[in-house]
Amino acid sequence: MRKALAALAAALLACGGLSACGRAGSETADGGIYRLGSDQAIDSMNPFVSVVTTAFAVYEQIYPTLVQLDPNREFVAEFASDWTTSEDGRTWTFHTRPGATWSDGAPLTATDAAWTLNTIAEFKDGPTAGLANYVSDLDEASTPDPNTLVLRYSRPVANVLSRLMSVPILPEHVWREYADGDGEALTTFPNNAPVVSGGPFTLVRHVPKQVALFKRNPAYYGPKPHIAGFGIQFFSSDDAMITALKSRQIDAVRTVPSTSVANLKAAGFEVISSPGLRFDSITVNANPKQRPEHRELADPLVRQAFDHAINRAAIVETSLLGHGRPGASIIPPGTANWADRSLEPTPFDLGAANRLLDQAGHRKGPDGIRIANGHPMDYPVILPEDTYGGAGLRSFQIVRSDFAKIGVRLTAKLLDNAAANEAVMANESQDFAMTMWGWSGGTGDPDDTLNYLTCQSWGILNDTGYCSEEWDDLYARQGTAMTPAERHRIVDEMQRLAARDRVLLVLSYPDSIEAHSREWTDLPQVGGNSFSSESKIPLLSVRRAG
Amino acid sequence: MRVLEYVLRRGVFSLVTIFLAITGNFFLFRVLPGDAVSNLAKVPHSTPELRQALMERFGLDKSKGEQYLIYLKNLLHGDLGVSFTYQESVSHLLLDDLKNTVLLAGVGTVGAIIIGILSGVLSAWHRSSPLDHLNTGVATLVYSFPAQWLGLVLLILFAGVLPAGGMSDLFLFDSPPFWQHAADVGSHLVLPAATMILTAYGGYTLVVRSSVLETLGEDYVLTARAKGIPARRVVWRHAVRNALPPIVTMVALDLGYVVGGAVLVEVIFSWPGLGMATFTAIGQRDYPMIQGAFLILTVSVILLNFAADLVCFRLDRRVNA
Repeated sequence: MRKALAALAAALLACGGLSACGRAGSETADGGIYRLGSDQAIDSMNPFVSVVTTAFAVYEQIYPTLVQLDPNREFVAEFASDWTTSEDGRTWTFHTRPGATWSDGAPLTATDAAWTLNTIAEFKDGPTAGLANYVSDLDEASTPDPNTLVLRYSRPVANVLSRLMSVPILPEHVWREYADGDGEALTTFPNNAPVVSGGPFTLVRHVPKQVALFKRNPAYYGPKPHIAGFGIQFFSSDDAMITALKSRQIDAVRTVPSTSVANLKAAGFEVISSPGLRFDSITVNANPKQRPEHRELADPLVRQAFDHAINRAAIVETSLLGHGRPGASIIPPGTANWADRSLEPTPFDLGAANRLLDQAGHRKGPDGIRIANGHPMDYPVILPEDTYGGAGLRSFQIVRSDFAKIGVRLTAKLLDNAAANEAVMANESQDFAMTMWGWSGGTGDPDDTLNYLTCQSWGILNDTGYCSEEWDDLYARQGTAMTPAERHRIVDEMQRLAARDRVLLVLSYPDSIEAHSREWTDLPQVGGNSFSSESKIPLLSVRRAG
Repeated sequence: MRVLEYVLRRGVFSLVTIFLAITGNFFLFRVLPGDAVSNLAKVPHSTPELRQALMERFGLDKSKGEQYLIYLKNLLHGDLGVSFTYQESVSHLLLDDLKNTVLLAGVGTVGAIIIGILSGVLSAWHRSSPLDHLNTGVATLVYSFPAQWLGLVLLILFAGVLPAGGMSDLFLFDSPPFWQHAADVGSHLVLPAATMILTAYGGYTLVVRSSVLETLGEDYVLTARAKGIPARRVVWRHAVRNALPPIVTMVALDLGYVVGGAVLVEVIFSWPGLGMATFTAIGQRDYPMIQGAFLILTVSVILLNFAADLVCFRLDRRVNA
């Protein structure tokens, strides 16, 4: 026993802690293993089950997609080499790369893409509902020959490329047997490693909540990655993840808290801050059917007053430590070129806010709190857990302090995400008063974000209680506008409408912050991420420095 | 006969407690606002159809009573269900988590007990000396630190020297030799286990000290000393042995705390154990995972308490006479 303990101690000392041991192992592979840290684990390797971004970033690396985004946020070829659109905008034809194979040697052709899209469409109300958005209005996917894919839509669809960018093409020969009958088996297939891959990497090992390891896929039809593989270690605490980066246990971190930026820069790490895809906002319940004690919140004057009482500069400076921008539009600046730059953040003006509330007839009571409809303007603000950690809570404190100066009292109501969802979305948003959280949109297209405010999204994703025919009409029109200029015009109009109606009081756009060791180079960002669910390019180009 | 009656009585009591805990676990999280479907249905362009499909897939469209009966029936067949989030068998997912927690909590608890007994006996033997004051002072101070705070302090202090997260080097494509792997896990274990030991040993120190002090004044100890038996033997053979029942009781009572403490420690150090699984599952309202994790935790604590009762009974027959 003593000998065993001595051997264990000797091994520990010889390793000098884990980092050294791990390094030795990782170095053995040609090109090196790029080691990522993530605060979000893969929920499932099955794309019909998964909902988290990390999983979709993994699918991007192991499965083909027809198109992808490049670092300039333009759609470029991936498995499709080129594509054309019919004049009526309802038929899209893609030519795919000939001679491609899956990692198990089976042919990879346009029929795999057609099968994937048709299967999603077939079971869109059940097993494949999570991906149904990407095939809405699709009548049929067909393949006149193995290298041609023809998609026929029931109406013109403006964002076909954006949709297809997010659909992993699955190997039909592996998945076909699960799509029998009601398709329920599609959701129970675990798709565990080793996964049959068609992308630049293959998944060789996945230990849930711990790690996913990927090797270069020799069968990949595209350019070969410079790295031998990559791995993602999952952390449940940011502190441990940042410490692991600093102690060289990992090479890069995807989501760096703004509080760690200076520290990591001082330690010699490359820290990249890019315009993010997320906006933080205060949602003031605009539902006219809400509870009587909050009904004044449906008054546009009140929401305008609240908007003027938000000190966005202080939020960016104090909460985000300068790593972000004041908010104006509901389309974040990271969403390609879709943000309407003519929209300016509402000026911080407590005088104007007070005047507007006076104008609305809500006078201050003896304790300085205004009275509206016979009750004090005292509102609980729901803060979901992904908001009240760190920057979110600091932003709330700034807002609360300024609202007190206009005679409005805010009280934080901290809930975990599931409870917050229930509190806001239940009963068609009639119960809550205000909430503060964030929304994320797509890198290349604004459609998802615009959809959040449609009447159709009530009770599911629309947290505002906002429902307007004007909005829904514009939403439908932007979805079928086939020229970029026309679509831009409508989307800009929608952003101005959202700002005018003050549906969401956009506070700020936090930057997307990544950090990596300077031992690695040539790591472009796509939509603020190098480990992207929309592009294979960053991990294809990253290499060891020198 | 009296022994058998005692064991049976405690056994039945433990079974009833387990059943009540199972029932409580089932309904507790279902009365909380929010459900798994709210989280899973939060995808772009989500529809009421998706929500309904998920409700049906998870059996949440049935009444709570029906769900409860199905759960009990499956449980009797040893089936803990399928995780809503991972769509995999809960027993399969939790088995590895359980092993990892047993390793961490085991090292943490055993380490805390050993250090606590040694320092408690030392303090009792040198009572009122500067060593005693220092020892009990440090023990009390460290005992009062919250585990998560102490964990973060250790994390920062030992950054770069010891691994910060996980339980082994995860980036190796090929399995390392056994000893290298053991050393690797050992190095990852140091910080989380140290956190658990430091936050727990103080309690043992104080109980052991007071218990041993009590026995040191007993007639039989004085008699032993009068016989000229060496001091070390008097302490370990007579005083400590007779001071054991309250220590065993405390260890048993503390097991619940160890499990609770492990949740925080596992989250801080990303230790993939039951605590981290429970923490994640609660956030996701993944009922089968929560129920499975709580079932394992509850049964472990009840069985360990049952075992502690038996040990106490063996050590001191006056217990529950």
